[in-house]
Amino acid sequence: MENSLLVSLSQQLAAYQSMDVIANNIANVSTPGYRREEQTFQEYVEQVSPPEGQDGPTRISFVQDAGIVRDLSEGAQQQTGAPFDLAIHGKGYFVVQTPNGERYTRNGHFALDTSGQIVDDSGNPLQGEGGAISITPDDGDIHIGADGTLSGKNGQLGKLRLVAFADEAALKKEGACAYSATEQPQPAASATVTQGALESSNVQPVVEISRMIDVMRAYQATATLTQSQEDLLRQAIDKLGQTPAS
Amino acid sequence: MRALSIAATGMLAQQTNVEVIANNLANMNTTGYKQQRAEFQDLLYQNVEQAGAQSSDTGTLLPSGIQLGAGVRTASVYRIVSQGSLTSTSNPYDLAINGMGYFRVTMPDGTDAYTRAGNFGLSPEGQIVTDKGYVVAPGIAIPANATGVLINAQGQVQASIPGQTAPASVGQLELTRFPNEAGLSAIGDNLFAETPSSGAPQSGVPGSTGYGTIQQGFLEGANVNAVEEMTSLITAQRAYEMNSKVITAADEMLQQTARLGGA
Repeated sequence: MENSLLVSLSQQLAAYQSMDVIANNIANVSTPGYRREEQTFQEYVEQVSPPEGQDGPTRISFVQDAGIVRDLSEGAQQQTGAPFDLAIHGKGYFVVQTPNGERYTRNGHFALDTSGQIVDDSGNPLQGEGGAISITPDDGDIHIGADGTLSGKNGQLGKLRLVAFADEAALKKEGACAYSATEQPQPAASATVTQGALESSNVQPVVEISRMIDVMRAYQATATLTQSQEDLLRQAIDKLGQTPAS
Repeated sequence: MRALSIAATGMLAQQTNVEVIANNLANMNTTGYKQQRAEFQDLLYQNVEQAGAQSSDTGTLLPSGIQLGAGVRTASVYRIVSQGSLTSTSNPYDLAINGMGYFRVTMPDGTDAYTRAGNFGLSPEGQIVTDKGYVVAPGIAIPANATGVLINAQGQVQASIPGQTAPASVGQLELTRFPNEAGLSAIGDNLFAETPSSGAPQSGVPGSTGYGTIQQGFLEGANVNAVEEMTSLITAQRAYEMNSKVITAADEMLQQTARLGGA
């Protein structure tokens, strides 16, 4: 009897966590370079032996969280017109140098800092092939080619460093659209850069909302099950605990 | 339940987004206005299970970990400093900057402010001033008897004086640029102030390397694209709505939980 309550509990905890993941996807629907995530679950099987001389289940399955899978498909490119808004097409990441080491991002919103370096929202310099890239007002309008070459009025200024990873799923999220890696990054061969655009988040609202309804209904169904089990228990206690009237 | 607070961060972010879009649309016809854009980032993650951790003694690795997100935040609201379209006004003191640079304006308290809105006029003393009466640096006075004023692309101000055949040169306008003009702080009235992130102002002659030229009789319109703003508005509104749906769903789940154990 208690087993069925525990099975329900494992499902309800799973639903809570799924809901958190869906909420995070929806909250980040406008975050450039965000990748949607999906919680996956696995069955956890416990062997039990029914009481002596009785029939009963010999195996009980619980729900267990297996992992969160990141959807690595590319988001749509959205035109912004800002000269340092960059979108990557294909497999690749921008490299920014933070105080905690290199971070990799697909959020291509950059700007200039006081010294003319191209930096991200937190002021971390974007890395070119020879380190940070500096621009002076004398360079005029900056053009960034598909291969990441920056050029101004006075010629080439450098080339963006784009990297790729053999195992993208192993990148660790650090918040602020940045990832850290344990693996050594490789130069991204197939990635191209578009200037004046940002890669939107790849969250598809319709998918998230239907997942949300799905999770909610599953939760409700289990809650109803838990309720009826509780009623059963209550009745059993009431009935069995009754002392004869006389 | 974390979903509630995550969705709340989403609603807050979209609210900021709508506010920025509203401000852009409200300033569609403001001279020299630069479009703004809200920029979002995901929040920190809680690591429950690290991807790449060993799942057995034989060295098999977990292909994906569990990192639970905490929502979204507004990272910045930045200005897109592209050139606005130039509209002809035929007013001799309407000046548009074609290219990079700002007019320097001396504020009443003696500090400097910068603007691209060139709808200037004359003060009672004959100085070129903004529509608020602040002097445009370096403070050029037009003689009272001048019959016409010509300001050329390089910012030279020449006045036609009756009785003189050649126009008299009365001053030279200057432009100011910044290493990072998106870092200027907007102080209202189309004016901007220097900040540590904009860098130090550098002054120069219009038309020289890195500075724009001056167009007399023109004004620079806002660089707001109405169609783009409207589509962004719809997207932001829908995203707001979706986040509120998450709150409803999470609330329903919590209600269900609260009802458990009731008779």
